[in-house]
Amino acid sequence: MSDIVCIATIILAGITQASLQLGLGGLILLYHNSMGKHRRKKTRYLAKNYILGASAITFLMVCTLCFLIGNFFGGSLSVEWLVICIGIFAACGAIMWLFYYRRGKKSTELWLPKSFTRFIQKKARSTDDNIEAFSLGLLSNFAEMPFSLAIYFVVANCILNMSGQFQIIAALAYTAITIVPLMVLKLRVKTGKSTVEAQKWRIQNKAFSKVVSGSSFMLLAMFVLAFWVL
Amino acid sequence: MARAKKKITYEYSSDGIKQSILRQARSLKIAPGWAKQIADKVADSVDKWMADKDIVTENDLRKKIIKELESLSPDIAFAYKNHDKII
Repeated sequence: MSDIVCIATIILAGITQASLQLGLGGLILLYHNSMGKHRRKKTRYLAKNYILGASAITFLMVCTLCFLIGNFFGGSLSVEWLVICIGIFAACGAIMWLFYYRRGKKSTELWLPKSFTRFIQKKARSTDDNIEAFSLGLLSNFAEMPFSLAIYFVVANCILNMSGQFQIIAALAYTAITIVPLMVLKLRVKTGKSTVEAQKWRIQNKAFSKVVSGSSFMLLAMFVLAFWVL
Repeated sequence: MARAKKKITYEYSSDGIKQSILRQARSLKIAPGWAKQIADKVADSVDKWMADKDIVTENDLRKKIIKELESLSPDIAFAYKNHDKII
């Protein structure tokens, strides 16, 4: 497979993962709670560590799956595995359109188990040091795994199909794309905007983000089908 | 057999309301002086509203605080209303 197709797949997969909302919601919660308690400098460090945690788990997951595919799948995913991934993408796309957000509420609550969201909220409220913020970033990204695991598999497969000298760069570039929404939020808060504005934007554009997420999953499914299976 | 929900009661505290409003105001970067005035005004009107009541639910208290905040600072009201509805 040519490097161009691999790069395009990685970019599309990165955008798809970046459109997931749990990581962003976790960061807004962390910002909101921390700014009420701590000085700005401390809040900045906590946010930075949260983003670092989210990046670390993304990068490590991609590297781990590259290792697994390299050693147990003969260096590349077979067509059957790719078809399974395509099926998962299509299902995730439909879930995004229909069930991702709780219906009929003027909020951005996600369709997650209540106990789990309460746990993340409690953690975000009580996060006081950088290690806790780092692990909150890990946790919120890890919680998105039902949606992102298949994406990681496809990305790892693409990376293994690229030339050796670009593999690490591709893994880093993928990680960078996935944290773009978090970085944008960090920049907005740094330039004086409040978390309420960010949250209002999320509520107003809930339908739009639902369509973007769902469509990205569907596009990714079609892209992998067209360029990797057929 | 369904398990009955545990009912938790606690004493109303005007200071608690002030502190929670000040915390929300700090995270919205609202000037401390203005935030304190808002917190005092809201706490006063909630005190008056509570005066003839023996017991109120947390939800009613929350609604009353949000109603008062909406006229004084819509942003704090929004944060107060939505801070547990982000994810």
